[in-house]
Amino acid sequence: MRKKILYIIAIVLVTALKTRAQQPSVYDVKKMSFNIDGFNNISPVIVKSGIIFCSDRRFSAFRDRTSYDGRRLYNIYLAVKRDTSGFSKPIELTSERSNKFNNGPLCLAPDGKTVYFTSEVETGKMAENKKFRNHSGIFIAELKGLELVSVHPFKYNDPQFDVGQPSISKDGKYIFFSSDMPGGHGGSDLYYCESIKGEWSAPVNLGSKVNSSASENYPFMHPSGRLYFTSDRPGGFGKLDVYYTSLNNGSWEDPVLLPEPINSTSDDFAFVAEPDLQNGYFASNRRNEDDIYKFTSTIIRKASCDTLEENNYCYRFFEENAVKQDTVPFRYEWKFGDGNHATGPLVEHCFNGPGTYTVQLDVVNLVTKEITYNEKSETVVVTEIEQPYISAPDRIAADQKITLNADSTNLPGWKISRYYWNFGDETIAVGKEVPKSYLKPGTYNIQLIVSAEPDPGGKAKEACISKNIIVFPKP
Amino acid sequence: MKLNKSIYRILLLVFFLGFTMFVRLSGQPVPGKDENIPFLVTFGKDGKTSWGDADFYQIFFFSILKDYTKPLYIRVFDPDCGGEWDEIQGEFDTKTKFSVYGGKGVDPEKNEESRGLLKGKANYKSGNLLASKIFGNEAKYDNKYYTFGPFNPSEGDFNTKWNSYMFKIVCEGISGDDGNLYKYFLSSDPDNNVPIEGANAFTYSYHFRMWNDFKSVSHIYPYIDTGIVYIRQSNFDWDNDGNILVVSRYKQGINVPISDEDNWVKSNIPIEPQEVGSSLDFQFHKRQDELVKNNNVVITLENQRGDAVKFFSSPIGGVPAYQGKIGIEKVKPKK
Repeated sequence: MRKKILYIIAIVLVTALKTRAQQPSVYDVKKMSFNIDGFNNISPVIVKSGIIFCSDRRFSAFRDRTSYDGRRLYNIYLAVKRDTSGFSKPIELTSERSNKFNNGPLCLAPDGKTVYFTSEVETGKMAENKKFRNHSGIFIAELKGLELVSVHPFKYNDPQFDVGQPSISKDGKYIFFSSDMPGGHGGSDLYYCESIKGEWSAPVNLGSKVNSSASENYPFMHPSGRLYFTSDRPGGFGKLDVYYTSLNNGSWEDPVLLPEPINSTSDDFAFVAEPDLQNGYFASNRRNEDDIYKFTSTIIRKASCDTLEENNYCYRFFEENAVKQDTVPFRYEWKFGDGNHATGPLVEHCFNGPGTYTVQLDVVNLVTKEITYNEKSETVVVTEIEQPYISAPDRIAADQKITLNADSTNLPGWKISRYYWNFGDETIAVGKEVPKSYLKPGTYNIQLIVSAEPDPGGKAKEACISKNIIVFPKP
Repeated sequence: MKLNKSIYRILLLVFFLGFTMFVRLSGQPVPGKDENIPFLVTFGKDGKTSWGDADFYQIFFFSILKDYTKPLYIRVFDPDCGGEWDEIQGEFDTKTKFSVYGGKGVDPEKNEESRGLLKGKANYKSGNLLASKIFGNEAKYDNKYYTFGPFNPSEGDFNTKWNSYMFKIVCEGISGDDGNLYKYFLSSDPDNNVPIEGANAFTYSYHFRMWNDFKSVSHIYPYIDTGIVYIRQSNFDWDNDGNILVVSRYKQGINVPISDEDNWVKSNIPIEPQEVGSSLDFQFHKRQDELVKNNNVVITLENQRGDAVKFFSSPIGGVPAYQGKIGIEKVKPKK
């Protein structure tokens, strides 16, 4: 009996693994070379010259930099991207606050020189007290070479709570940050301020769709309008996970959890991405300490992909000269070769399916009453369009489970080796028949990329077809 | 300059050879064989226009290729007005004058007056009068040919475009009110109808008799010259006798409105670019519910500029046969 149960469990596991194997990962992740073992490296920021990040690495080979309470200090570093690949040895961006206080995370304003960075609010004698709990705040500085100068505090810093991890929208009008200021939903929440006549407006909580009773941190406002953030709310892969949301008609949408391997059972946080979302960086302690990882999207999305054409067996037949005249003293009688007929100088007919049909035109002269049988005939070869075929509904509800299939693909002579689906929401699947549901309403462009087995010369044909699907809100 | 002249000559030759080839086999009966028109008709000037003659004269032109140098004859069948074929009004008292003209002033392409379409003081009898005869009710000419000629081809008015000499015959109803029904034949023989190779006949205003039966269909064949975009037809005194269909290689049949008693009806017929350089077929189908007897009619055509269009007795390019074409387009299914 026990053996039987073990056998069933084994079968279930194998089947489950097989099913998972069908859906390849949409991201590759790679640990960055500028991480140093034994130290934490967090909060990457993509800049023109490379990556700015925060690290609690040693000041020198022998000397730690510690705060007044003895903890290693985080400071800000720049890893310059080399022309070929990889990054140079990180160099520190210093300020009057280096060596004394934690500095970072940070962001750059659209002007490329104004830096908003997190540091500690209290700098007086009180801060030197080992038992003093200093709170973080946002500081604004100008980046001059490798120095942060003219440092001044953000107007909503407060010694009573934390304010930090800033991110500025691409138009510079909004600053997002996290804070545990009173009035939140629990833990730290995400807030934003709007720049009005050069002044930041009072912080606004992003609301309960984004902020949970757990903590929300590390906001990153992507140029596309997506707001990525980190949360330890339930329902993720474990500990800190990365989510994103978007503003839709003035409301933030339900956050979407990023897939593995960006998220893991460890802490995954501080996500940033290039404008095209194909590459980016995040921090994770999946290898015990906080390190910065690069992700690369493995999602295939063709820039050029034909739009799916529905197979259409409908034709318009007309007597070319007769249709130029308002009236003609003739009656045109069409026989379509499938048992159907119609009358008129211009008629339309839909055949039932592919085939070869002889369309015959008989003409009755209304003046002489003479009938010319088969005055003209044409052979119509009705074929299906040679294309990959997406069988899917045009409209579905959010969360509705559907199955898409490529059964009606018509590519004569192809030995198809793979059906690759890009669902347009950064998810993919492989297979002739795949399940799918969309979390959010919207219009998604599905691409089906069909690959053939390589020919003897090693060349593999590929065909792409796309179709839009409209996802409406859950009823 | 010399080169241009050479090219011009070659083009002229090509046109001339083509034209000759089209008409070579046809001969010159007027009405033509393909026209299937029983008779031309001219009424005495005292007749009523409601009987089917709008102006009591009819003009035909004959073209004879320059290469033809032998004598030619214009034979008139049944030139008198009386006896077997002609249309009596009370008693036969009509005199009809046939006059043959040649020389300068005949060619209607050079002298618009010669066409006989200009009203008022216009002189349609232009040219040198070569022969003339008046016919009354004379049994000796009834149902027989009368021959004008011989004429030397060079007595005609030379037309360089067609490399032909032009002759003109005018038939006038000079008195009386009866209808003279007659036919012509351009012949190389005075006593028999022997066609002259490469010759043709044409008019700008066709006065003719319709058949007295339901089935016979008459035709005329206007030639569509370069530059014609549409033609304007005018038909007179059709007595609502059936239908006029215009047929070409690109027209299966356009219905043209027809006139009733003593009236003109005009309408435009668009010309396809592909129809230029060929003839249209105007088909005259008789009314089927009631036989209209002794129906005499007139038809003229002009292009969009108001220039008269020629009807050739032997259609240039041959009798046009409609070539139907089925168009096929894919359409979206109706939801």
